[in-house]
Amino acid sequence: MAQHDVEITISRTGEVKVHIEGVKGKACLAYAQWLTEVIGQVKSRQLTSEYYEPDVKSRIDLHQDLKAEDGAP
Amino acid sequence: MSTVLILAPVIISNWPAIAVAAAGAGSALGFTVKQTAKEMLQQDQKARQAQTEQTVELELAGSEVLAQGLATDQRMVLTKGSMQIVVERDARGRCKVCASGQAHSKAELRQAAEEFTQKLTQCFIYDKVMRELKSKSFQVVNEEVMQDESIRIHVRRWVE
Repeated sequence: MAQHDVEITISRTGEVKVHIEGVKGKACLAYAQWLTEVIGQVKSRQLTSEYYEPDVKSRIDLHQDLKAEDGAP
Repeated sequence: MSTVLILAPVIISNWPAIAVAAAGAGSALGFTVKQTAKEMLQQDQKARQAQTEQTVELELAGSEVLAQGLATDQRMVLTKGSMQIVVERDARGRCKVCASGQAHSKAELRQAAEEFTQKLTQCFIYDKVMRELKSKSFQVVNEEVMQDESIRIHVRRWVE
């Protein structure tokens, strides 16, 4: 199990800072894309060293599809 | 650390969601929701007759209040002392905040309208973000209001 942390700071003017932690590789961009769609427009983006680390075999499923992997009997 | 994003809020929503945020902003700033739209229209007429009231109008940048059929009650009136704030959907579908009051200068009204607009935006974004986070099975680890009135939310999700 991988732990994905997101820290969101909503300033008094409504501007939002999003800090996505523990998500390696381009998987974190899926979170970034989703939160951008929810909140508004990107003013700035900073990719940190963890972004460039190789993906672990964790899969984020933002659509929460719970399809059975095997066919039902 | 992985990614840090700075996002400018965009308010595109239907009136009920904006009304909830407006009520929240009003409550946080000491205003009370006072009247229905019909009562407000009647008072508007009286106010126009008096012609002594200062008024300041602000538009929420990038906002869009989605039309809802023939709904007409897309207006909220809040009061604090002699100051009145009206939040409404204008003819172009933008969200507009109007501050007025006889005993207040233009500068005071502008400050109040700006403060209300900012708080409304903060409340709207907070409500929307929390709704979305919960729908994606995030759990709130910590949530606090900072000294500068910003809201910090720390959420976590476990992924296989």
